[in-house]
Amino acid sequence: MPQYQTWEEFSRAAQKLYLADPMKARVVLKYRHSDGNLCVKVTDDLVCLVYKTEQAQDVKKIEKFHSQLMRLMVAKESRNVTMETE
Amino acid sequence: MVLLESEQFLTELTRLFQKCRTSGSVYITLKKYDGRTKPIPKKGTVEGFEPADNKCLLRATDGKKKISTVVSSKEVNKFQMAYSNLLRANMDGLKKRDKKNKTKKTKAAAAAATAAVAAAAAPAAAATPATPATPAAPAATAATAAQ
Repeated sequence: MPQYQTWEEFSRAAQKLYLADPMKARVVLKYRHSDGNLCVKVTDDLVCLVYKTEQAQDVKKIEKFHSQLMRLMVAKESRNVTMETE
Repeated sequence: MVLLESEQFLTELTRLFQKCRTSGSVYITLKKYDGRTKPIPKKGTVEGFEPADNKCLLRATDGKKKISTVVSSKEVNKFQMAYSNLLRANMDGLKKRDKKNKTKKTKAAAAAATAAVAAAAAPAAAATPATPATPAAPAATAATAAQ
């Protein structure tokens, strides 16, 4: 279960893992205010990547990363998919 | 597991964060969702199910209470802005970096530099008024004595 020390490496590896199989991968975020730390985990139930931090400057990066992945998940791959009216 | 609308999810998530300020963790999970509502049977055919491509599932919990929401491409813009603001506003208990703080370093360096310059200027200032007042030779000796 590799734990990354640099955000850059973690971000790249996480993106790669997600793109390999979007349906399998999930992102977990754990925030503890009492201890003042934040932990991000990206896993596809086979490989697990973790990044822990106590720095305020990482919050913005993590939040951006989260939003980026959300957009990837929500983006349609092809325009030929039938529109689901819900 | 309570499935909520995006807006309600955000409100409840804020409440979760506030509840866990003194102790406990907030777990948030994000995953791509294809809209399935029934589990896939081990054998037999899957009943006419079309996987949707444009949704994601967001879950949050504090260990006791569970909430979730589904975000689709239509809502993602509005939701994402509100969600980002929420995260940034609530995850504020982390340390500010002051060891490697660049501004502090440059400020300290600047202060040290000005102090050094002031220190260098002081004996020079002391020497210069002395020189015009007294003749050259005693002024030189005074300057050397000051140094």
